[in-house]
Amino acid sequence: MAPYLQPRVEDDLRSLLDEHALLHQLVDGLGSPLNLVLPDRLVRNVAAFRAVHRKHHLGGGVWFAHKANRSHALVRALAATDAGIDVASLGELQHALAAGFAPERIMATGPKSPEFLWLAARTGAVVNADSTVELADLAGIVAAHGLPPVRVLARLSGFASTGTNVLTRTSRFGIAAGDLTGLWETLEKHAGQLDFLGVAYHLDTVGLPEKAIALEGCLHAMDEAHQRGLRPRAVDVGGGFGVNYLADARQWEAWTSELTGAVLGRRPPITWNEHGYGLRNEGGTVRGALSVYPAHRSVAGPDYLDRLLSTPSAVHRRPLGTLLLDSLYDLHTEPGRALLDQCGATALRVEEVRGDLVRLAGNGGDVALEQHGVLMDPILVPRTRTEQAVDPSGFFLLGNLCLEADLLTRRKVFLPQPPRPGDLLVFVNTAGYLMDFSAGDALMQPTARTVAVSRGGGGWRWRLDEQYWPVTGREGTA
Amino acid sequence: MRYETVTDVIGNTPLVRIDAAVHGLRNIDLYAKMELFNPFGSVKDRAAWNMVRDRLPGAAERGETVVELSSGNTAKALAVIAGMHGLPFRSVTNRMKVPEIKDLLLLLGAQIDELPGRSECLDPADTDDPLTRMYRTVSAAGGGYLHTDQYFNPRNVEAHARGTGPEIIADLDGRAPDYFIACVGTAGSSSGVARVLRGHDPAVTVVGLVAEKSDFIPGIRDIDEVHEVGLFDPEVYDTIEAISSAEAIDGLLTLVRRCGTLAGPTGGGAYQGAVRYLRGVDAELTERRTAVFIVCDRVESYMSYLRERRPELFAQAARPQSVRSLTTDDLAAARTIGVGDAQEWIDKEVPLVVDLRSPFAYRALHIDGSINIVDDLFGEMLHGGLPFGRRQPVLLVCPVGEKSAQYAALLTRMGHPDVRSLQGGVIAWRDAGAELVRD
Ligand SMILES: Cc1ncc(COP(=O)(O)O)c(C=O)c1O
Ligand SMILES: Cc1ncc(COP(=O)(O)O)c(C=O)c1O
Repeated sequence: MAPYLQPRVEDDLRSLLDEHALLHQLVDGLGSPLNLVLPDRLVRNVAAFRAVHRKHHLGGGVWFAHKANRSHALVRALAATDAGIDVASLGELQHALAAGFAPERIMATGPKSPEFLWLAARTGAVVNADSTVELADLAGIVAAHGLPPVRVLARLSGFASTGTNVLTRTSRFGIAAGDLTGLWETLEKHAGQLDFLGVAYHLDTVGLPEKAIALEGCLHAMDEAHQRGLRPRAVDVGGGFGVNYLADARQWEAWTSELTGAVLGRRPPITWNEHGYGLRNEGGTVRGALSVYPAHRSVAGPDYLDRLLSTPSAVHRRPLGTLLLDSLYDLHTEPGRALLDQCGATALRVEEVRGDLVRLAGNGGDVALEQHGVLMDPILVPRTRTEQAVDPSGFFLLGNLCLEADLLTRRKVFLPQPPRPGDLLVFVNTAGYLMDFSAGDALMQPTARTVAVSRGGGGWRWRLDEQYWPVTGREGTA
Repeated sequence: MRYETVTDVIGNTPLVRIDAAVHGLRNIDLYAKMELFNPFGSVKDRAAWNMVRDRLPGAAERGETVVELSSGNTAKALAVIAGMHGLPFRSVTNRMKVPEIKDLLLLLGAQIDELPGRSECLDPADTDDPLTRMYRTVSAAGGGYLHTDQYFNPRNVEAHARGTGPEIIADLDGRAPDYFIACVGTAGSSSGVARVLRGHDPAVTVVGLVAEKSDFIPGIRDIDEVHEVGLFDPEVYDTIEAISSAEAIDGLLTLVRRCGTLAGPTGGGAYQGAVRYLRGVDAELTERRTAVFIVCDRVESYMSYLRERRPELFAQAARPQSVRSLTTDDLAAARTIGVGDAQEWIDKEVPLVVDLRSPFAYRALHIDGSINIVDDLFGEMLHGGLPFGRRQPVLLVCPVGEKSAQYAALLTRMGHPDVRSLQGGVIAWRDAGAELVRD
């Protein structure tokens, strides 16, 4: 068996990839690389998160973490739903406002400049503050400019566990949960400027136990706030619900085993320059840790949120979701990657095939698989359909930069038939972080254009990303 | 038998024949090496004691902490030994997966550190994983740690090369068995025993058992993880085979129910793996052979593990008075009452108001005059019958009015004439602007 890592491709994205002629026309006309986004799927993903809220009877909002993708179409499609948006810069805030988000549905997170704080306060967005200093600065801006009170969340970090000592990476963000006196004092002092909604966390981990401890810590912080006479009413559990990239768990297991074998020299390399993705061979023993995204995840996205809410609190022995509900708190989430599951793909044209080297019109910044440690195969879209015998062979995918390190993935990628110049390789599920988070214009190589694709009139409709609005102009005749 | 200290009791475990009627092999005598009889309960007592014994003198004066990467039997044995010698013990682990062992370690006074999960937003420049970092800290000389390093420490293998292996040969009247089958965790027991058996008779066949990938059998590794073990040398084994947790549990049940051997999952796995391997050999044999497998530890610590995978083994009869037994008719018969009517009813008839939410939430805000009995507890009380008189009207409240409706239905079915559920729950009450108080 060739070490495939075949991507998980669902419904609309699957049928779009069968439209070979359309895909070739688009890349011929708009250039390689080309990003495709599917706004309709995003709307369905929001509904799936909502359903988890409903299952647990919880109010509150789903706030899309904008940082995961810059597409206008995706943000505008989202503006047409009941979702909120989490913006992490002045530019993202302006973008959200321009796309039609009312400020009530916008939340500002991350490191904030005075300009960003002012525009958030002026328009009436929620400010999810990283520190008490930020809260005091915000209160200063509100007072000086005579603005109405701003709704704020306080981001916490460094939660303590009970029983076992669950270790967490140190975070540069958030107020230390161990001593919140300073936070309460700041909120009390600026009660005229800050409307305290509640507390928040965002942990950069796939580990559920760490998140359960953080959520429990937030509940305790809320209780402390109530005892101080404050009236917070929401808990924000951040993002990080994850995506399952692969169709088949067994391929992931087989591939990681093969990698271990290759690192130990027991089989021929399956990576460029025998790269070990964090594993190394020390005297016949594998050391280090596999440093890649867990590409196959049996529980991801809304299911992961459900699992978190169903996890019993260590102290109260009652599911965390039930505790939130008991206390009548709203639950907010900030999913980025998970909301973009199946919402996009990136197509690259094959320029040259030389033995097992395939050079593409695009580079590792355009599809940031390596940067984000996501391992999966592209899908081959041949220019002319030929019924060739299936004879899998392995290729390395080289980018268009004159850098030794510019590969789309350092994995040897197995394709059902050899690609030829003019064919397309399409990486699916790139909408979350893999599309434009790291794209640059090194060497003045073109960056990808983005096209929004939706079903319509019995086929597919496409528009340039900036041309997309969630309106057809034919509503009057409907 | 009299001993001066419990560590002297470690080792010299019995070798017990498995009844041929159970295993069904015609030409092979199958024996279990009963490591579960060690004083702290497992095969790891030997390794733990051998790794620390020479380093104990002066350790307390130097203020050292015993530390090991273990979430299981090694941690248990080290925690006991450390406690006997006045040393703190710290266990570092990816995840405490077996709750009974976690509780036992906490009972023994161990500190348990669980390492963080993988990063959701990967930073590929950070190749320094938390485990490697932790390893560096605890291994530094003079760092205040007595790190036993079971995956790399040759004294782990030596414990079995000196003890377990020679004991097997002695109990087989000076002969090595033809087959030796063991599960591989640190590879200490299997490599130590294999070395001695082969030294005695190079023809011995050694079978190593690992868990199937993405399956989990507490105490042993899967086929990839085993390559991260410093003591693991593939040359030791004639063959490495994978067993599933289902097979391990099948084997455990055979040992527990038919062989009087209260083995844990790896003992069960070793039995099942042994029989599976030997069945193929048995058919070809013309003369008698002997095989030995290891029963590493005891079943009692794995109740949650077994319950999770085989709930049917613990099947209990459904209790009659529970919300799970409600029919749609029962639910339809439950009375609900809206916020406005409920306020009036409270003023006029003074029903007992029972708030089914958590004490934590009740403390923050509740309906004045209500009492708090969290739903789980309320459910328990109802198993015993009605907890209040029939003449006492009752208003049940919960967050959204769903659970309270179920309990109202149950109480009604149990014969209470006037129990009502607050429609829309405390949320509706709050949203209607009705008063909520805190103490
Ligand atoms: C504060 C905050 N919220 C939400 C997210 C989104 O995370 P994800 O895309 O993993 O859901 C991030 C990601 O970095 C973040 O920093
Ligand atoms: C329950 C159980 N079975 C089997 C083993 C495997 O023993 P060894 O570490 O000697 O390979 C262990 C050890 O970690 C264990 O705890």
